[in-house]
Amino acid sequence: MEIFSSGKLSKIKNKGASGLSKQSGFPSPATHYAEPSVDLHKELIANRDATFYVRIDGDELSNYNIWDKDVLLIDRSLAPKKNDLVLVVIDGEFKVIRFPRVFLETEFVLWGLISYIIHYAR
Amino acid sequence: MIALVDCNSFYATCEQVFRPDLWGKPVVVLSNNDGCVIAANKEAKALSGIPMFEPFFKIKKLLIDNNVTFFSSNYTLYGEMSQRVMNILSSFSPEVEIYSIDEAFLDLSGMKHFSMNCYGHQIKDTIFQYTGLPVGVGIAPTKVLAKLANKISKKRVSENKGVFVIDSEEKRIEALQWADINTVWGIGSKHSKRLKDIGILNAYEFTQLPKEWVRKNMTVVGLRIWSELQGKPTIEFKTVPSPKKGIGTAKSFGKKIEDLGMIQEACSSYISEVSELLRNQKSCATYLQVFLHTNYFSNHDQQYSKSITVTLGIPTNNTFILISEAKKALNIIYKPGYRFKKVGVCLSGIIPSNYVQGNLFIPTPRWEKNELMHVFDKINRKYGKSTLFSGLVGTRAKEWELVKEDRSPRYTTQWKELLKLKTTKN
Repeated sequence: MEIFSSGKLSKIKNKGASGLSKQSGFPSPATHYAEPSVDLHKELIANRDATFYVRIDGDELSNYNIWDKDVLLIDRSLAPKKNDLVLVVIDGEFKVIRFPRVFLETEFVLWGLISYIIHYAR
Repeated sequence: MIALVDCNSFYATCEQVFRPDLWGKPVVVLSNNDGCVIAANKEAKALSGIPMFEPFFKIKKLLIDNNVTFFSSNYTLYGEMSQRVMNILSSFSPEVEIYSIDEAFLDLSGMKHFSMNCYGHQIKDTIFQYTGLPVGVGIAPTKVLAKLANKISKKRVSENKGVFVIDSEEKRIEALQWADINTVWGIGSKHSKRLKDIGILNAYEFTQLPKEWVRKNMTVVGLRIWSELQGKPTIEFKTVPSPKKGIGTAKSFGKKIEDLGMIQEACSSYISEVSELLRNQKSCATYLQVFLHTNYFSNHDQQYSKSITVTLGIPTNNTFILISEAKKALNIIYKPGYRFKKVGVCLSGIIPSNYVQGNLFIPTPRWEKNELMHVFDKINRKYGKSTLFSGLVGTRAKEWELVKEDRSPRYTTQWKELLKLKTTKN
């Protein structure tokens, strides 16, 4: 361990380096374990260039657990699997359905897969 | 090989991505302040008689009668969508040259073992899947040929499906014979007229001209195009954009304005915008041009227009210095009694900041203000555009500002303007 002389200490003080610890003891044991905080954007968005956001207006999708004012994250890069929630276009209108749904008389165009539903809890 | 990827009717299709009710229908986008039509999708282009670049008020009825949906330009949205496309493209090649908001060149020379046609389709399909934007892909040994291949990819859609590769001598010659001389990238209207006069109608005939003739009559620029069309790459790849040589902005006012104070505020606001761009690219301007004019299209207004160019003592990118210079310039060219439609500023003589020379006759303490600009930009980047602004921009209602009546929401950049889904019983 390096032992600081008092001369060095006073030099630091003179520089006005307030950020430096003036203790000459052991450094914080956490120093080597420091990690950046959780970043929601990084966690929820796998492909930024293919992700779009949709704001829900109304409660008619509550059977999918989607509520008024929720925000859907739509990831267009993911291929839907059975029972995934997807945003589709039917007759020029956006709809949310479970994939796949057998449509006898209407066909749909897949717009994107719903990867997350952001819900404000209060 | 080089690929040129470009988005089909980019502005209009950006709007359609979020409006499935408009899929397959004619859509046009208007310029700033709804001046004229600047973009139209293929459905709108198919309706003959919708002139591009015609003032909006003249064709508004025509558009409505033909059920054409029109949008005010939403550059925030187009810029963000463009960024997505460019990001996706950079996953297909290490060298991407962004050529404009909706086109880019890709260097595919490392992909020798790939089928170029498959790769082209993969690029096209990925962009469409991720963003909903349709693109055309042209692949060829040179930039000029890639541009041509791109054009062909869109012409015979059923056959090429948006991808065309020039990878053999036969295909190259066929493409050149197909291309009208005035459609070749880089050959301007003057040269193409001249070539037509001597009987050169298509690109193939152009390549048959002797090298010496081309050099003599069309300079080295023409010669480069000539070689590129032969399949010999001569135009460099530019992955780092060259700094702009001139930066300017001029927008029509929301309404006609007589008051000098109001015009000065608009002018100061434009200066703030362009000087920020200048600082972003770390350069300074030597000349400042300010111009002012009335509405050319109005029959009952007195017409007046004037422009003035100021040489700055020391080249600068400082908002406050530029605003005060612009204000002086405006005072010179402004004439009372006219109803003005537009004020514009243009900065030129742009040089890198670290090449700026001092001026013997101007004291230098002005430099200290650079630190201020630095803090200014930092705050605006963190808290949003125009959080801090020069007092000369004014705080009263900006009567000169853009009227964006039919602008679509900024779906991808504003939390309050997200795509809205009205739920209905399924």
